Amino acid sequence: MNQITKIAWRNIWRNRVRSLVVIIALALGLWAGTFTSGFYEGMMKQKVDDVIQSELSHFQVHDTAFRDELIVTHFMEDATEIQRSIEQNSNVISTSGRVIATSMMASANKTGGVKLIGIDPEEEKRTTQLDQKLQEGAYFEGIKRNPILVSRKMAEEYKLKLRSKVVMTFQDLNGEIVASSFRVVGLYSSGNGMLDEVNAYARRSDLQGLIGLAPEQYHQVAVLIDDHQLAESIAGSYQEQHPHLEVLPWLDLAPGMRYMVEASGTFAYIIVAIILIALLFSVVNTMLMAVLERTREIGMLMAVGMNKSKVFFMIMLETLFLSLIGGPVGLLIAFGFIRYTGSQGIDLGAIGESYAEMGFSAVVYPQLGLSSYISITLMVLVMAILAAIYPARKALKLNPAEAVRKI
Amino acid sequence: MEQLVIETKNLSKIYEGAVEVRAVDNVDLQIQNGEFTAIVGPSGSGKTTLLNMIGGLDRPTSGSIRVNGVELSGMRENELIDFRLRHIGFVFQSYNLIPVLTARENTEFIMLMQNVDKALRNERVEKLLSEVGLSDKMDSRPSQLSGGQQQRVAVARALASKPDFVLADEPTANLDSKSTANLLDIMARLNRDEGTTFIFSTHDQRVIDRARRVITLVDGKIVSDEQR
Repeated sequence: MNQITKIAWRNIWRNRVRSLVVIIALALGLWAGTFTSGFYEGMMKQKVDDVIQSELSHFQVHDTAFRDELIVTHFMEDATEIQRSIEQNSNVISTSGRVIATSMMASANKTGGVKLIGIDPEEEKRTTQLDQKLQEGAYFEGIKRNPILVSRKMAEEYKLKLRSKVVMTFQDLNGEIVASSFRVVGLYSSGNGMLDEVNAYARRSDLQGLIGLAPEQYHQVAVLIDDHQLAESIAGSYQEQHPHLEVLPWLDLAPGMRYMVEASGTFAYIIVAIILIALLFSVVNTMLMAVLERTREIGMLMAVGMNKSKVFFMIMLETLFLSLIGGPVGLLIAFGFIRYTGSQGIDLGAIGESYAEMGFSAVVYPQLGLSSYISITLMVLVMAILAAIYPARKALKLNPAEAVRKI
Repeated sequence: MEQLVIETKNLSKIYEGAVEVRAVDNVDLQIQNGEFTAIVGPSGSGKTTLLNMIGGLDRPTSGSIRVNGVELSGMRENELIDFRLRHIGFVFQSYNLIPVLTARENTEFIMLMQNVDKALRNERVEKLLSEVGLSDKMDSRPSQLSGGQQQRVAVARALASKPDFVLADEPTANLDSKSTANLLDIMARLNRDEGTTFIFSTHDQRVIDRARRVITLVDGKIVSDEQR
């Protein structure tokens, strides 16, 4: 066996240029495929982190009817109590109680629909880092009566500046229309264009007063915990304890996200698989050339007594060597590249803006988990073995008497 | 002591095609242990076909071939390969060494496949390569050797397996006269001193002159069988 391994190894270096071309092609292909996977995985991870940390939190608690109808009357009676009991859990980092009113916002220039969210500035800071997204103005400071935080995008559309006045119109608990003026205290930008179009923030107490809610009555409690993986189980157990509430983890709050997270993994593998199939043909082609130009030599080996399984094994080994040099080289380059770009970030520039519109970050930090590296390695192995079979079978078909005579 | 090594009976090889070609036609042949025999004849007379069938590289259309009493014609492919490995040495016209192995490794190769142990292998490789006059070229690859030297490695390789006989298909066709004389000296000495049986196909007069038995084929039939 050793001898055959030695011959196979030396054989692949007989035509150095040809072998190197295949090895480099394999390395580059795998680098591209693996990096693409890393790029998507990084982008998805960022999106998930982003969605959790600045939008949905890990899970949210509502009155069972609230999410269907989004009207102010579906509030939770003793929300402060709910909030406090959730905070007992040692995995919980923070919670934010919110009052939500679907409103019309009117400026001197424009009127449009807005989701007015009443928050406690401190709770919100801890839970979604809203203060970090502030671009202009102050975080609920400097304006005493009805301060409102609008997005930079809204400010452009409604032609608002700091301290501009807007009139918010919404329903109160009795179904009456309430209109109240708010003054812009700050402009924020969340990096997610879709959210920026609809969300405006006011103080929870101001909104409770206008709607007619008591201070302990909220529409929503958002909960941030210390581990993404625990979101579903903690939400699930809380739901069991409180059947009269609706407790939903982030993946169920945004079903589109669940689909995207699951599809992106598959998508990356499809790309790698396509690249590997293309590479498979180039490896097969190279090895077929190698076998056919060595007809006489392989015939001689069989003539002097090398049996078919050894000939098969030798050609298999040659193919595997080619694939298994190129494969790890490609993976290693990809690993380094993902590491580097993962720490530096890739600024998508002009394309980034359209990504941002769709709620993705314009700077992507690629990353790839160990399990993805393992899966890709397995895919390369399968490809290598598949590529090895045909040339090796071709070698077996040679007739030693004819092969030896061929000059 | 004389012993029958090869015996063919009614051996025929017919190539079907637009015209039926009887490459070997009802050949009865007996070769004894220790012979130094040339099979001669014009091109297309069936020399190589006969040699290939005796060597188990090609199958007869009809008739039988016995090597040391073992019938080859009914063997399966892998049995034949194994039989060749253990009983037959080959020297080819175009040397056919393994290009990526050195002279030493080429000679050792067959013993490795026979699972001969290392000490014995080394001893035998050194003995054989010195017998063919290549002690100083043991670590050269075929591309670094002349045609004559390559063919001598091929002879060493053929003998490494301790075969019942060595088949050489036009072994001198690509060699100059000096290399040919050298190669023939070596083979004649091995035949005389070690009792190795050699069977050549050739139309090289220098080889025919040295043979002790000359079998002439014409159109697949033996037309003369001359002992010297």
